[in-house]
Amino acid sequence: MIQVEGLTKRFHDNKRGEVIAVNNLKFNCQKGKIYGLLGPNGAGKTTTLRILATMMRPTVGKVKVNGFDVIQEPDEVRKQIGFLSGETGLYDRFTPRETLKFFGRINGMEDKIIDEKMGEIFQALDMENFKDVRVSKLSTGMKQKLSIARCILHDPSVLILDEPTVGLDIITARTVTNYVESFKKQGKCVIYSTHIMREAEKLCDVIGIIHHGKLLAQGTLEELKKHSSLEDLEEIFFELIEQENKTK
Amino acid sequence: MNYKNIKSVFSKEIVGAIRDKRTLITMIIVPLVFYPLLFIGMGYFNQMGNKKSEEAVSVVAIKGEEFALQLSEYLENQEKIETTTKEDNELSKLKNREIQAIIEIPPKFDIKVKQGEPSRLVLKYDTTEAKSRVAQKRINQAIDEYSKEIVSQRLNDLNLNEKIIHPFALEIENVASSEKVTGTFLGFLLPYLVIMLIFAGAMHTAIDITAGEKERGTIATLLVSQISRLEIVLGKFLSIMMISFSSMVIGLFGISISLLSGNAVAGRGGIEGIKLGMTFNTFLLLFLTLLPLVGLISAILVIVGIFARNVKEASSYITPIYMLTIFLGIISISQGIELSGNMFFVPVLNSSFVFKEILIGKIYWSHIITAFTANLMFAGIALFGATRLFNKEEVLFRS
Repeated sequence: MIQVEGLTKRFHDNKRGEVIAVNNLKFNCQKGKIYGLLGPNGAGKTTTLRILATMMRPTVGKVKVNGFDVIQEPDEVRKQIGFLSGETGLYDRFTPRETLKFFGRINGMEDKIIDEKMGEIFQALDMENFKDVRVSKLSTGMKQKLSIARCILHDPSVLILDEPTVGLDIITARTVTNYVESFKKQGKCVIYSTHIMREAEKLCDVIGIIHHGKLLAQGTLEELKKHSSLEDLEEIFFELIEQENKTK
Repeated sequence: MNYKNIKSVFSKEIVGAIRDKRTLITMIIVPLVFYPLLFIGMGYFNQMGNKKSEEAVSVVAIKGEEFALQLSEYLENQEKIETTTKEDNELSKLKNREIQAIIEIPPKFDIKVKQGEPSRLVLKYDTTEAKSRVAQKRINQAIDEYSKEIVSQRLNDLNLNEKIIHPFALEIENVASSEKVTGTFLGFLLPYLVIMLIFAGAMHTAIDITAGEKERGTIATLLVSQISRLEIVLGKFLSIMMISFSSMVIGLFGISISLLSGNAVAGRGGIEGIKLGMTFNTFLLLFLTLLPLVGLISAILVIVGIFARNVKEASSYITPIYMLTIFLGIISISQGIELSGNMFFVPVLNSSFVFKEILIGKIYWSHIITAFTANLMFAGIALFGATRLFNKEEVLFRS
């Protein structure tokens, strides 16, 4: 599970001076649940997920993944997580099989285990017919399947997905969202960032609406509707954003 | 530190580089095919040009022929010299390549020579024209012979033996072995070229696996894996070293063959005259002294590649560093410059001089050890810097 408390990230920008990318965030995500971070571009979603994935350090606050602290025990945290983003590139000059072998090895897996796991994943994701084709020759959908395979190869219990459908066509995007649902069924804890309302509504058990680095509201879809007296997530979202912009 | 992880990153980068056509072109095709063809071609055309100039008859305009009839006749009788005497605008004809040289004879030349008074001839030619240079050589030689004949005549008139002006003979013997001649020839150019090869060979791969990974977004997949930043940097660093070192060895081989065969084709010393005269141990020493330099350059490339936002930015950062390296390498080309002891601490400069010394068969252990240690130390510092940079999120996620 994921516990985030008082998470703040400040950094210095030459043009803008001190920037608060994430401001005092607090949320939890349990096993078998999907927590959606919904927000416009620049809201602080990616920074939050990079901190969860140990790529960045928080300025203030506590972040724990399965009980491991991201600052104190980053190596342990990395064993727990799988990270996937729309931008997560792949090595063009390698085949899916070689890609997975490489990532399996640097994730401390034995070759025999990698081969077994790879076989399972190729079948489950229907990758058999392109497992030995170089990535540069694959379609976007095939590439995204490989990205998912890379992300789950070492069987992580926590998945951090940063806008995984961005830039994908609807068919490929649906493949990705179907897998996200299957992660939930497997009892994994999933953090999912998106700016697409429909995805958040469909996938997430709990939705946190984030803007200017602040968590404006969080709860189940029903709770958000009840609290705002609005029926549509998009309406709720714009209402909250408008209020926040007025206070700025 | 997990060596398996370093090995995995290393193998991934090497395989990636081998599969990149650009690496193969710069590493193998350019030095082994393009260089030899270029040098042999240059040698061939150079030789053709020389041959043509040597075969052509030199047309020489004589101004004031009437003041030196004997000399004019002497020149006229020379093989491959054709004289003209009634030319106008000789200078513009020389510039237009219609004639190859002009001899200006002052009034009373013959009379003065007969009376034993000093006189002065002027020979005009165009040094930028091969045929004009050949004409100058021919006239020079002919006039020298003519002058000797006059001296001989004068001595004869005075009943003196020619020996009086040749008290002794000087015989010149070159004691340099063909090994040393070859070594000096290679030692003149190779140290500079080696620096260039180390840098150029590694540059593309280094940028591709550092700034390129940032640009393509693959760096994030490495950062969230269970591999330490140090292991990633070491894997990348070692693969750049490997590519750089291989490019240097292949490039050196290609360039040596090209230089020597190009030279041979140009008619300046044949292949049979080449003797490297180096034992296997000397070769080993040569490459061993270069190893820390390869390490230093690779580590610098990693630093620049990690710091840059993208491939384009990395390339523009590397250009001035490349120029500086070339400048330090070029100093070794200057004949006669000897480095003082402390200068052997300066990276690049030290390696090019040690390389040059070894090529001509001078092995100074103090220079070798100083250069090796200094470069190793700087490489270590650069590598430490690269690892530090790799831990800085503001560098990794600069936008």
